[in-house]
Amino acid sequence: MKRLYIPLFCFLILVLESVLSFYLVDFNFIPEKWILVSHWLLLFLIQVSIFYDLERTYYSLFYAIIFGLFVDLLHTDLIGVYLFVYTAVTYLTHGIRKLLHTNFFVALLLSVLGVAFAEVLIYFLYDTIQIHQVIWEDYWQLRLLPTLGWNLLFFLLIYLLFKKKLTQWSNDRFDRKD
Amino acid sequence: MTFFRKKRLFILLISLMILVGLIGFTIRERSELTAVEDFIRDTTGWAQEIITVPVTFTTSVVSNVQEIKNVYRENQILKSRLSEYRKLQYQNQELSRETIELESLLDKTESLSDYTPIQASVIARSKEQWFEQITINRGTQNGVEPNMAVITGEGMIGKVQTASPFTSTVLLLNGFDRSNRISVEVNIEGEDTFPSGFILGYDEESESLLLEMNQRDTNAEEGNFVFSSGLGGIFPKGLEIGEIKEIRSDRYNLTDIAYVEPSADFEVLNHVIVVDRTMPQPQTEEEEENE
Repeated sequence: MKRLYIPLFCFLILVLESVLSFYLVDFNFIPEKWILVSHWLLLFLIQVSIFYDLERTYYSLFYAIIFGLFVDLLHTDLIGVYLFVYTAVTYLTHGIRKLLHTNFFVALLLSVLGVAFAEVLIYFLYDTIQIHQVIWEDYWQLRLLPTLGWNLLFFLLIYLLFKKKLTQWSNDRFDRKD
Repeated sequence: MTFFRKKRLFILLISLMILVGLIGFTIRERSELTAVEDFIRDTTGWAQEIITVPVTFTTSVVSNVQEIKNVYRENQILKSRLSEYRKLQYQNQELSRETIELESLLDKTESLSDYTPIQASVIARSKEQWFEQITINRGTQNGVEPNMAVITGEGMIGKVQTASPFTSTVLLLNGFDRSNRISVEVNIEGEDTFPSGFILGYDEESESLLLEMNQRDTNAEEGNFVFSSGLGGIFPKGLEIGEIKEIRSDRYNLTDIAYVEPSADFEVLNHVIVVDRTMPQPQTEEEEENE
C-alpha cells in the first residue's frame, strides 16, 4: 500500500494543477500579461529523487516518464515535449544529488534550477515546432520569471508537507530490502 | 565500463527517436484520439470534476455575497428596462410564428441557424497557456463531436477539438489559426445583404480576432457586430462572435482586415453550451480523400 502513495500524490498534484490553472487565468492580483505555469509535478518529482530515491534506484525517473506523458495528454495536443523535459530534469537531478548533501538549500537550488531548465527547454522545443511566436525577451520577462516565483511558493509548500514523509517512506521501503 | 557507456548512449538515441516520432505523430491535425488517450482524459476528468465542484461552489458563494451589494441599484435599472423587453418579446413571438408558417408553406423545416444545445461545465484549463484549450465535462456519450461550436451566453468561445466518451477539449478562439477559419457576416442595421468574410486567427498584440473581408470597401464600420454565417459548413448561423474595433486594408491593399473584439470573455468560463448543428455537415474534401 505504501508503494502507491507516491503515484497517488503525483496524480492528485496533476489534477490540482489543471484545476488551479483554470482559476489562475482570471486571478486579479497578477498582471494580465504574465503567464504563470505550474510545475508542481516536476517539483514533487525532484523532491522524490532527492529524498526518496537511493543512488541505485530510479523510481522518480519512472514516475517522471509516466506522469510527463499524462501532462502531455491532458494539457497539450503534442505528446512528447513534457515527457522529455520532465524526464530529463529528473534524471539530471538524480545525477547531481549524488554530489551534494541533501538539505533544504540543496533542494531549493535543484528545484529552482530544475524549473528554470525545464521552462527554457519547453520554450525552445515549442519554438522549434512553431507552437508560439514569442520572442526571447518577452518570454523571460512575462513567463520565465513569474513562473519561477510562482513555483518557488509551491516548492516551500511541498517541502514542508512531504520532506519528512518522503524520507520516512524511503527508510521503510529500502531498509527492509537490504 | 565501455559497454555501459555504449548501452546508455544507445538508450538515449532510441528514446530520442521515439520522442521525435511521437511529436511527429501528434503534431498533425487530428480529431480522433486513441483509446489510451480517451481513457486517461476521462479518468483525470472525473478527478478534476470532483475537485472543481466544491471549489466553484465556494467561489460562487463569495462572488454572490459581493454582488448582493449592487443588487438594489441593478434592480432599479432592470425594472426600467422591463417594459422595453416585453415589447421585444411580443415582436419576437410574432416573427418566429410567421417564420414557422412561411417555412411550412415552403416545406423547408431545417435552417442553418437551428441547433441543439448541450450544456457543459468547464472542469480544467491547460496549464500550458500557449495551448488555448479547456476541458469540459461532456463527451461523445452526450452527443459532443469534434468541430462543434462552443458558446456562452455572451458569444462564441471556440470549437470542440477532441471528444472522449465523457470529456472533451475545447480550442478557444484566441488559439485559432488559419487551419480553422470561421465564415462570418457583419451585421449592419438597415441593409439587405451583409458583407461576409473569414476569421483568420487571433492577433496577440491587439487582443482581437482578424477578420478578412471578402470584398473591399464594404459598408462595415467600427461598432458593427460580427456573427457566424453558417456557410463554413461546421457552425450554425447566427452565433455572436464580436464587435469590430478597427478596419484596415491588408498588406497588399487587396482586401480589408477588420479587428474584431470577441464578445465572450475567455478568462472567466464556468458554464458553456456545445452547439450541435441540426443541418447536416457537408463532407469536407479531406474526408472524401480518406474514404
